[in-house]
Amino acid sequence: MNCSEARKEIPFYCYGECSGETEERIEAHLAECPECRIELERHRAFLDALDSRVEATDGSLLASCRADLRTHIQSENTRRRGWLERLFEASRWHIPLRIPVGAMALVALGWFGARYTPQRFGGLEANLAEPMFSSVRSVESNGSGTVQIAVDDIRRRVLSGSLDDPHIQALLLNAAREESNPGVRVESIDILQNNADSEPVRNALLDALRHDPNAGVRLKALEGLKPYAGDEPVRRTLADVLLKDDNPGVRVQAIDLLTAHHDDSIVGVLQDVVQKEDNSYVRTRCRNLLEQMNASVGTY
Amino acid sequence: MHDAAETVSATLAAPLDEAGLIRAAQRGDEDAFERLVRSYDQSVLRVAMNLLRSPEEARDVYQEAFLKVYRNLKSFRFDCAFHTWLYRIVTNICLDHLRRRKVRREESTVVETDDGSVDRMAQVEENAPHSDPERRMWNRELSAGIGRALDMLTPRERTVFELRHYEGLRLRAIGEIIGTSEEAAKNCLFRATQKMRASLEAFV
Repeated sequence: MNCSEARKEIPFYCYGECSGETEERIEAHLAECPECRIELERHRAFLDALDSRVEATDGSLLASCRADLRTHIQSENTRRRGWLERLFEASRWHIPLRIPVGAMALVALGWFGARYTPQRFGGLEANLAEPMFSSVRSVESNGSGTVQIAVDDIRRRVLSGSLDDPHIQALLLNAAREESNPGVRVESIDILQNNADSEPVRNALLDALRHDPNAGVRLKALEGLKPYAGDEPVRRTLADVLLKDDNPGVRVQAIDLLTAHHDDSIVGVLQDVVQKEDNSYVRTRCRNLLEQMNASVGTY
Repeated sequence: MHDAAETVSATLAAPLDEAGLIRAAQRGDEDAFERLVRSYDQSVLRVAMNLLRSPEEARDVYQEAFLKVYRNLKSFRFDCAFHTWLYRIVTNICLDHLRRRKVRREESTVVETDDGSVDRMAQVEENAPHSDPERRMWNRELSAGIGRALDMLTPRERTVFELRHYEGLRLRAIGEIIGTSEEAAKNCLFRATQKMRASLEAFV
């Protein structure tokens, strides 16, 4: 393989998109060609820089997209039901079609009505204070004239109370782990951080910082842990985050918290980061801090 | 309430049998459809946001894509992976948006201000609790640079680049998604990479 061929393959080599044979040929060429090795390093630096792009994600947007989709699907089903209703209405006046079309429309109306438009279905008997439901799960008659209907309740309830109320706190702790909605998690962590002196809350913040997939939630958790940056379990988590978190913004915040308290034990962590860190800014920050602490930049 | 929470957790923790979910959704099971949506909708929104850099357009893509899936799910015959089918729908809608944008010569998300180039999307992040102005400035400039570089790609190059670099999809899958061969997707990625590197030379 010559230099020109190697340089064409380097982008795919970095993505792991070359065949085994091509990889071996590139590696053999790189072993002999310092210029292509420099080119490989430059390409890797370019790829690292691309990872600094601001991720255009937004938890509240996802939540509202989901709500809109639900509404769209519901209205689409209602439109279908309307068409069937009109068909049924027409069948009343056309005697030859009346029985088959009417029967079909009745069955379909019942099916759609029960599945998709329960508030109308239930609206005849139920008043507005009654819960609405999204679908009927089962219908059973016990033979004595009563019927048991299992429905999915979709009523929204609003609960309010003081943050010191254990029930409210339990709900917030649960919401902080709400798997599907990062917007809810950010808000919950934001509120909970005012009560970070309670151990369960601090543990929830540490848990969010270590495991939450959304960087915005992790940053919020970091903010809440700021007053406890001197505590041993918090420092251990921060050191871990600094070494493992995939978001450079979170890593930089972790550095800030770790260095807010004078503690020589973080020297090792910072040296580790200087060796392993991909992001040049985070690396530079750690290097500067080590210099300020009169510590050597490398480990020997 | 505790029992309900446990039930929810158990449901979420249950292994996701995708083929089973698809079949249930094809039979009209709304819960199965919702679970299917939730398995993919974060990635769909992320791809749309990153490709279009506009929350309004990303929202439109999300709705249009999942409504198409809802309407056409019955015709899905497992000829390809569900995610390939979904991504094909999503990227086609995004490509339409990008092409329309080119025709309208819509302004880029990167705008020139007195303080230099700014990616409008990056402003969202400005509210994040950062303590270091130097880092903020550096990130902003680099992010604007990346935005400008992406704007210079053709819609197809941009899509391939986004799917390979940021979504980590294999070139073979990208070829299937955009309806071309792996080789053509590879050539497209090469052109996109060359352009991006040239544009970002000052940063690396």
